[in-house]
Amino acid sequence: MQVHYDWRLARILNDDGVVIDEILWNSSKSISSVAKRLFELKKGRLSNEAKILFDRFDNVKIHPQGHLDDPNWPEYSNEERELFEKALINMAKLGVAESSGNIDRRMDMLVSSANEIRSAWTTSESRCIEWIGLFLTELNLEIKRKNIIETVAFCDTIQEVATSLETVSPLHTPAHNEWSTMKKHCESVIGLSNRMSDHEDSIRLLALEYIPSLSALLGPLGASKLVVLAGSRERLARMPSGSLQVLGADAAMAAHRNGAPPPKHGSVLFSMPQVSKSPRWVRGKVARYIAGKASIAVRIDHFDGKPWGESEIEEIFKEVKTIIDKFPNPPKRK
Amino acid sequence: MAASLLRTKNDPSEMLPKTGENCLYLGASIGGTVSHIHDCICGSGNHHKGHILAVDISPRMMRDLVQLCDKRPGIVPLLADARSITELSPFINKKVDWFHQDLSVADQAKTFVKISEKFLKSGGVGLLSLKGASERVSEGDIKKRFENAEKILKDSRLRIIERIDLRGLEEHHILFNCRME
Ligand SMILES: C[S@@+](CC[C@H](N)C(=O)[O-])C[C@H]1O[C@@H](n2cnc3c(N)ncnc32)[C@H](O)[C@@H]1O
Repeated sequence: MQVHYDWRLARILNDDGVVIDEILWNSSKSISSVAKRLFELKKGRLSNEAKILFDRFDNVKIHPQGHLDDPNWPEYSNEERELFEKALINMAKLGVAESSGNIDRRMDMLVSSANEIRSAWTTSESRCIEWIGLFLTELNLEIKRKNIIETVAFCDTIQEVATSLETVSPLHTPAHNEWSTMKKHCESVIGLSNRMSDHEDSIRLLALEYIPSLSALLGPLGASKLVVLAGSRERLARMPSGSLQVLGADAAMAAHRNGAPPPKHGSVLFSMPQVSKSPRWVRGKVARYIAGKASIAVRIDHFDGKPWGESEIEEIFKEVKTIIDKFPNPPKRK
Repeated sequence: MAASLLRTKNDPSEMLPKTGENCLYLGASIGGTVSHIHDCICGSGNHHKGHILAVDISPRMMRDLVQLCDKRPGIVPLLADARSITELSPFINKKVDWFHQDLSVADQAKTFVKISEKFLKSGGVGLLSLKGASERVSEGDIKKRFENAEKILKDSRLRIIERIDLRGLEEHHILFNCRME
C-alpha cells in the first residue's frame, strides 16, 4: 500500500492501484495558508492528511512523487492553479526578504565595498601626491606621505603648505580655482580613509560575532575576506584546507594550470606577518600549517563549537615559530 | 538557447515547447530565457494556459525573477535548490512536457538525469546546457567534462537526439537535446 499526496489531498492505494481511502484538505484556502503548506512540504514534511492515512493503515509506504505516475490523480482546477501560482509568488518574495538576514551576504557587501573604497583611495591618494609634487618641487614625496595630504587640506594657500612642510616655496603657484580644487581632492582622500575605518569597524563587529575562532587566528578582517572569497561561511567550512590556503591567488592558480609551480598562499594568508615576514623558503610550510588551523577554526564557528580563545591561538603561533626555527637556511639547490 | 536553435541540424521547433505545455526550467536566473519560453507556451496574457516553473537558488536572481512573474501570468517562481527532489516535488503536479537545465554547478549531468527520470514525462523534451565554467579550467579538462556528461546521459533513460556545439557563439558551451524514453 502506498500513500500519494500533494498539498490538496492524500490518497492511499492498494497494490493494484485501487484507492482505499482519501482525505481532502478542508480548511479554508487562502494564498497564505497554501504558501504555509507548500513551505512545509518543501522541507520534506508530510501533509496532515498524508500523516493520518499513514497512521490509519499498516505496512504503508509513502511516495511524495507517487502521484506523478498515478493516471487518476486529479489535475488542478482553475481555482487551485491560481491559488498555487499566487502562493509561489508570495513564497519567492518572502524568500528574497529573508535573505537580508543572511550574514554571508551582509559580510560580502561590507568587505566588497571596503575593497572598492580602498582602490578609490589608492588612485586618488597617488594623484594628490603627484599633484602637490608638481608645485613643491623639492618636497620628499615618500617620507610623511600622509602628512602631505593632511597639510594641504588644512592650509589656505600652497605657500602655507610649503612653510608648514619646511620646503622651498613654489616657483609657480596654482590659480585660485585650481588650488581649491586640489585642496578639495585632498579632503576627499581623507574622507575616503575615514570611511575605510568605518567599514573596517563594522566588519570587525560582524566577524567577531559570526566567525570568532577564525577571527582570533587571522584577525577579523582577514577572516572576513576568506569568507567572502569562499562565497559563504558554510562553503569555507566545507572546503579542503589546501583550497583555503590559496584563496585569493587567482592569477597564480591560473598560471599553475598552465604549468607554473602552484602558489604557496593566497592574499589573505600572505598578509599575515607569520607568512610574509618569514624567509621565503618557509612561507609555504607556515601557510600550509595556518591554513590547516584556519580550516578547523571555521568549522568550529560554522558548526557551533566552542570558539577558540587566546590560549589556543598562542599554542598555534608557538608551533609556527618552531617551524620557522627548524629551517634557518635556504634549501640547497639540487 | 537562441544560439542552439540556429545551430541545430534538426527542426528547431522540435526543441521548443508548444503552446499550453507544462515546463520546468532549472537555473532561471533573472528570467532571460524563461521569458522567451513563456512567449512560446503562453502568448501574452497566458491565453494558452501554459505553465513554466522557474527555479533558482539565488535570492538576488529571484528578486528580479519575481518582478517578471508578476507581469507574466504562467511563469511561476521557486526559490529552491534544483538538485533536491524533495524541494521540487511539492511544486510539480504532473510530469512536465519540457525541461531545461542551466545551473552553474559541477556535476550538472547527474542532476539532469535524476530530475528528468522523476519529473519529465515519457517522450518529453530535456535540454541540458553545459558551460565550460569560467577561465579556471583548462581546455582538456573541459573536453573531458563534456565527455563524462555525455556518458552519464547515455547510461540513463534519456535518449540524446543531438549534441549541439555552441563554440564560437558562446565560449565552451554545448547543449544536449534529449528525449525521455
Ligand atoms: C548561467 S545562469 C542561467 C542563465 C539562464 N539560463 C538564462 O539564459 O537566462 C545559472 C543560474 O543557476 C543558478 N543556480 C546555481 N546553482 C543552483 C542550484 N543548485 N539550484 C538552483 N539554481 C542554481 C544560479 O543562481 C544562476 O542564476
